Parts: sequence; C-alpha cells; structure tokens
Amino acid sequence: MLIEAQSVTKMFGAFKAVDNASVTVEEGDILGLIGPNGAGKSTFFNCLTGDMPLTSGTVRFAGTDITTAPPEERARLGLARSFQVPLTFESMSVLDNATIGALLRHHNAREAQAKAREVLDRVGLGRLADAPAKSLGTPGRKRLEIARALASEPKVLLLDEAMAGLTPTEVREAIELVRRIHAGGVTIVIVEHLMEVITSLTRRVVVFHQGREIARGTPREVTSDPHVIEAYLGRRKVRHAGES
Amino acid sequence: MGMTLVQVVVSGLLLGAVYSLFSSGLTLIWGMMNVVNFAHGDFVMLGMYTAVVVWTALGGGPWASVPVAAILIATLGIVSYFLLVRHIMRGPMLAQILGTFGLALFLRYGALWIFGANFKTLPDDLVGHSFIVGGIRFEGARVLAGLVGLAVTLLLHFILTRTSVGSRMLAVSEDAVAAQLMGIRPQRMQALAWGLAGAATGIAGALIATFFYTSPTVGETLSIVAFVTVALGGFGSVLGALVAGLLIGVIESLSAFLIGPVYKDVIVYTVFVLVLWFRPQGLMGKA
Amino acid sequence: MNARRLIQLALLVAVLIYPFLTLESPVYQRLGALVLLAAIGASAWNIVGGYAGQVSVGHAVFFGIGAYSAVVAFVHADLPPIVGAPLGMLLSVGVAAVIGVPTLRLSGHYFSMATIAVGELVRVLSSTSDWLGGAQGLGGPAMPRTVFDLSFMSAMPYYYIFLAVLAFLLGMTWWIERGRMGFYLRAIKDSERAARSLGVSAGRYKLYAYMLSAAFTSLAGSLYLCMFGFIDPESGFGILLSVKMVVMAALGGAGQLFGPLVGALILVPVEELSNSLLGGEGAGITFVVYGAIIVIIARFLPAGLLSLFERRPTAEKPAVSTANPASGHAD
Repeated sequence: MLIEAQSVTKMFGAFKAVDNASVTVEEGDILGLIGPNGAGKSTFFNCLTGDMPLTSGTVRFAGTDITTAPPEERARLGLARSFQVPLTFESMSVLDNATIGALLRHHNAREAQAKAREVLDRVGLGRLADAPAKSLGTPGRKRLEIARALASEPKVLLLDEAMAGLTPTEVREAIELVRRIHAGGVTIVIVEHLMEVITSLTRRVVVFHQGREIARGTPREVTSDPHVIEAYLGRRKVRHAGES
Repeated sequence: MGMTLVQVVVSGLLLGAVYSLFSSGLTLIWGMMNVVNFAHGDFVMLGMYTAVVVWTALGGGPWASVPVAAILIATLGIVSYFLLVRHIMRGPMLAQILGTFGLALFLRYGALWIFGANFKTLPDDLVGHSFIVGGIRFEGARVLAGLVGLAVTLLLHFILTRTSVGSRMLAVSEDAVAAQLMGIRPQRMQALAWGLAGAATGIAGALIATFFYTSPTVGETLSIVAFVTVALGGFGSVLGALVAGLLIGVIESLSAFLIGPVYKDVIVYTVFVLVLWFRPQGLMGKA
Repeated sequence: MNARRLIQLALLVAVLIYPFLTLESPVYQRLGALVLLAAIGASAWNIVGGYAGQVSVGHAVFFGIGAYSAVVAFVHADLPPIVGAPLGMLLSVGVAAVIGVPTLRLSGHYFSMATIAVGELVRVLSSTSDWLGGAQGLGGPAMPRTVFDLSFMSAMPYYYIFLAVLAFLLGMTWWIERGRMGFYLRAIKDSERAARSLGVSAGRYKLYAYMLSAAFTSLAGSLYLCMFGFIDPESGFGILLSVKMVVMAALGGAGQLFGPLVGALILVPVEELSNSLLGGEGAGITFVVYGAIIVIIARFLPAGLLSLFERRPTAEKPAVSTANPASGHAD
C-alpha cells in the first residue's frame, strides 16, 4: 500500500469541501480522481500533497504517517506533483527548472543538471533545455511541470488536471507521455475532468460529488453508474449547453 | 491613581480612533490588491501639513482643513495609483516594496526641504479648550479628532459592506478577472480604493495635526503604527483596524504613563513583533 | 571573447592600483574606500534580499550590532575594536534567527514590515541604553595604540582591507550561486510553493540566507566603526542606512553578483557630491533624489542597471520557435 488516506475531511469555515473520503493507492496503480467542478477532488488532492492541512483524518505514505508533514517532506519521501496552473520558475531556463527537481537526490549541481537533461529528453523538452522557461506556452509549461516532478525521482506522481487547456492532439501526446512514465515504474494519481483521459488511461476511478465519494471502480463501471451519470455527466451536459 | 488611569485610557481611546482611521486606509489597499503602501505614514504627514498651511497661512479652521486634506491626499492616492502602483503591483516583490518606499522618501524629504525640520504646531485657541466631565479632563482637539475618526472609520466600513460600490470593490479584490467579466472595471475600482484610502488618511492627518507636533519625519513612526494596527486587526479588515487602532491607542498611552514616554514606541513595536509571531492573521483575520 | 577578458583584466588592475592613482587627492582615496564599504553592506543584503527575494528593510540592525560590538570591545574591555567584529557577527546571526523564524514563514510584505519595526525598535532601545552611550553614542580609540586598532590617517589601508573583505564576500556568494543553495534560493524567489513541492525546505534556506547576510552586514558595521571611530543610534541603526543597502543592490541589479557594487559605484559618489555641494542644509535634497531614483527603478527598471547589459545567451531565438507547436512534439 503506497498511499492510504483514511476518513479525510477538509472544512473551509462551515463548508465541507471534502467529507470523510478514504482512498488507497497500490504500487503500480494509475488512479483517476474525477467529479464535476467543486466536487472536492482538487481539495482532496492538495490534502495528499500537503498543500492544505486536513481538518480530520490521516494520510499514510508507504507506511509512514504524513498527515501533518509539509510538502517538502512528502517530496523527499517520493511524492511528486504537478500544479493545475503551472508554477514555472519564470526567471530560469527550462534546464534549471528541471534541475531544481533533480537536486533533491543529487546534491552536486553538475550531476543534478545531467539528470535534468536526461529527464527533459524523456518528456520531449530536450531541444528546449537552454530556452528561458517563460518562453514556453501552456503545453510546454505543463510538460515542464511533469519533467520537474520526475527529476525528483518520485515513487508516485500526482497530476492535477495536467491536460486542461490542451488541444486534442496535445492531449493524446500527453496521455502517451503519462503511459510511458507509468511504464517506467512510477505510480500515477491523476485528477481530471476530461472523460477521454480517464477512460483511456486509468484502471481505477474514484468519483467525487459535493465533497463525498459517490462511486469507485473501473472507468467502465463508473461511467455506467446512475449516480455518476446524474451527478457528473448530467451536469456537464447542462453546462455545455449553456456555454454554446 | 484610579481616576488618572481612567483619564489615560480615555485619551488612549481618542488617539486610537484616529489610528483606526488612517490604518483603515492601509488595510483597504492591502485587501483590494495585496499591496502595502510604505508611504502611508507620509500621506498622513502631508495631511498634517495641509492642516498647518490651511490654518496658519490661509486662516481656515478645522472645517476647512479637514475637507481640503481629504481631497488633496485622495488626489495624491489616485495619482500614485495611476503613475506608480498600477505598474508595479504585478512586478517582483522588490519592485513593489521599493516603489512605495521610494515615494515615502521622496515625500518625507520633500517636506523637509519645503517646510524645514522644525516642529510645527497649530494655534491653540481654536480647539484648545478643555472641559471636565465626571472628574476627567477632555481636551477639545482630542475629543473632536477621536469622534470624527470613529465616525469616518465606521462610514468607510459602511461604504465597503453596504453599498454597491463597496460590493464591486469586493468583487475586484476577490477575483479581478471574474469581476471584469461581470462588467466591473478593476482599475477604476482600485483607483477608487486609493482615493478612499487617501481621503481617510488625509482626514486623519488633519485631525492629528490639532494635537500632535507636525514634522517631516513623523510619517515614519505613523507608518509603523499603521502596520501594527493592520497586522493586529487582520489584513484587509476595516472593522479589525478599528478595534486594533483603539487597542493600540490605549496600549500606547498606558505604557507612556506607566513606564515612560520614551518606551511607548518600544511597547507598540514589540506588540507588532509578537502579533507576527503568534497570530499573523491578526485578531479578526481569517486563519 | 578576448576583448572581454582584456577589459576584465584592465578593470581588475584599476581596482587594485586605484589608491596609488589617487595619491595626490585623499578625497578620492576616501571615496574609493567608502564605495567598497557600501558595496560590502549592499552585497551582504543581496544574499537574502536579492537571491532569496526576501526584502529586508531593517538591515541596519546588523550593521549597528557590528559597529556597537566593535566600539564596546574598546570602551568596556579596552580591546582593539576589530576584536568585537566576530562577536557582532555571532550576535547578528542570533538576532536574524529570532526575527527570521516567525516572519520568514509569512508573505514577503510581512517580512519587510517586521524588519522595519525591529529596526526602529532596536534604534530606540539603543538610544536609551547608557551602556551604549545613549543618544550621544560611543567613540573608538582617539589615538591608535597599536596597528590592531585599525585606526589610520590615510584611507589607503581601509581601501585594501575593504577590498579584501568584499572580494571574499563576492567569492563566497559566487560559490553559493552556482551550488545547490543558489538554485534553491532562486527557486524560492520565483515560486515558493513549487519549490517546496520539489523538496526544497524553503523556510530553512531563507533563514540560512538571512543569517549569512546578517553576519556580513555586521562585519561591514565593525569596519565602519574602525574607519570612522564613532557610532550613535542614527548612524548605526537609522532606517536610511537600511534603505541605502536595498537601493544600491536594486539599482545595480538585485540577485546579481556585481549588482550591489555597481549601485554603490553610482550612489556613493552622488551622495558625497550632493552633501558637499549642498552642505548640511541640503541633506534633505539628497534623499529627495534618492526617493526619486528608487521610484524610477521600481517603475521602469525592476531588474536593475546590469539587466540592460545582459547578453541574452540563447534566450531570444528559441523563445520564438518555442511557442506552442514546438513544445507539443513528443520526442
């Protein structure tokens, strides 16, 4: 058992953003967390990474209790993440961005840069290593987020809507990239509201609605669950109609 | 001793009400756009000089000096916003801090250049009366300053919480982009915040001038008083600034009375450091 | 490339023989020493303010601790002032920890405000302490007793002492800049949240930078005392002193190795000139000019003068080709 979140509750004032959620992640999993906007999946995600303190519940990572551990401690244990809105180190080159991640396991700056270069090649940013990071567009930045996290040589990679804002072609490429990372031995937890990503990538899905877990299972099982259709897909249809 | 202590607390409350007023300007700007105006105390200083000039050179009284100071400092606030703050608020932290800090130095030493280093005081005869109620002596100037300070702070709180302009400003502070989509112009609201903050600050300056020495460097101390008040009250909360301002006023006059006038600043600065240490979100701020 | 090397070499030689070029005019010798001393203070500030992006506006606290430690070593222990320097550095590191631990956790503005308040607190306290000479301050040895008093008529010895200290400080900063800590400080400055998600103990690194910065600012204070032989609360702990350190670094380029030195090279002569032209009465105008310079830097040149000369290596070209399509290609 790699991640074991038990009865996680997160309140903002009187509002329960996450209500008694329990999720476990096995080594080698690709787990999807889905749900409509405001379902609490991103909040739950941030409780796993240490960016938000829990109101109650426990989180264990590889047997260690990390409920109150700060993000940097979790990163050291092997928990890496990407941010929904990329937090690129703007003043640095692409290579230096990845080097920050690599320095976690390689204290020597030169070794860390070698590691960073290798990771950039792996995610397809090798040619842009020396470009300033701020010159990257959204897809490049999302890729750099993943590269940086990978450079820290994590056991688990937590992806927060890593494909939001990408074109369909870019999404397909990104799915391919995540598959390769998974094949390289990294466990994946992915928050996403694009169904296409979830169905083609994940083996297990947990569905959130209004802070609660309402369903879990394979993508196929979940998408045919009436609760899910009502809570998630139903609302999506309504929203799409409203948008167009 | 007992009666004297009551006297000290009352004068502390009256002073505190003025602190509340000019601190509410600082907290408003912080709440709106996450910018700390390091020139805030110097805005107060200019309000004080405005009062001095209106009284001594132009022969006006408080009914003239307070509105003139309000208009002048509000204008200064709006001009600072358009020429400087608007451009630096998204820049690096260093530029944000340096920008208003440079403005502070510019105003402080500009005032020194124009008005000289000597302390200025207002003629006593206008609000210099004092009266005794229930064994406590009230100085006219302090009572006027305290009551007006309290009233204007409450008015500001009312504008921000109960009017449509207030809710539009709140919308911008929560999410400028979303506010823009709803047809609100963020820049206009932010400029308005600087104008309101400037007006409050100018009024506070004109009030303080009636019982404080006016000097070019007084803004330095007043800036720190405003920081303490805002930190204690919780950044962004006008009501918090009101309570904290009164508290700081009392703490200041009690420590001047019990320990010695030299130590009143020491105690207030120490309170600041303690607040930052133990309760950085302030008394009324959100955790 | 060779021309560049040649210019660098010429600059180095000029710096080394400067006191001999100005043998005839002690004023310029003194000016040289003052520039170097200011550059030490501003370069020390640069470690925490420039590299780590934590804008302290209260560094005079450490400068004053250094100066007072030196003068106290003489007044109360009859030792050469410079003996107080290491003590001052230790004390400054301790004080930095006390200020830094609570305030560096908070957003950048809190830290700036707290440093201002602590600076004023220490200034007021020092002026009430008889042991520190109160508002009048304390003086060092009137006549040099031994060479260890570091009390010289000529500015030349100071020039070389300051140069050696500055060279050491910049060398150390350069070494930090290129290592793990340098990377981490820049990452914290850009995005603390992202840095922490990659295992960077942001709080710890900011504190290290602050303590290191405090130690060298304190050393600058001790050196100041040796040269001027006198310190009072205003010249030791005054807020303008803190401001000067920030402005010099920001003018040249905060977070750049030579930024503070460039800033000092411009601002120290400006200040000396306006003081001597305008005299005591004109001191205010110096700071009006200072204020205006600060506002202009913040508004138009937030990265400092050196950013104007930066050759942007490989920066612009790929920037164009990087735009979305290129980064979309997988391998």
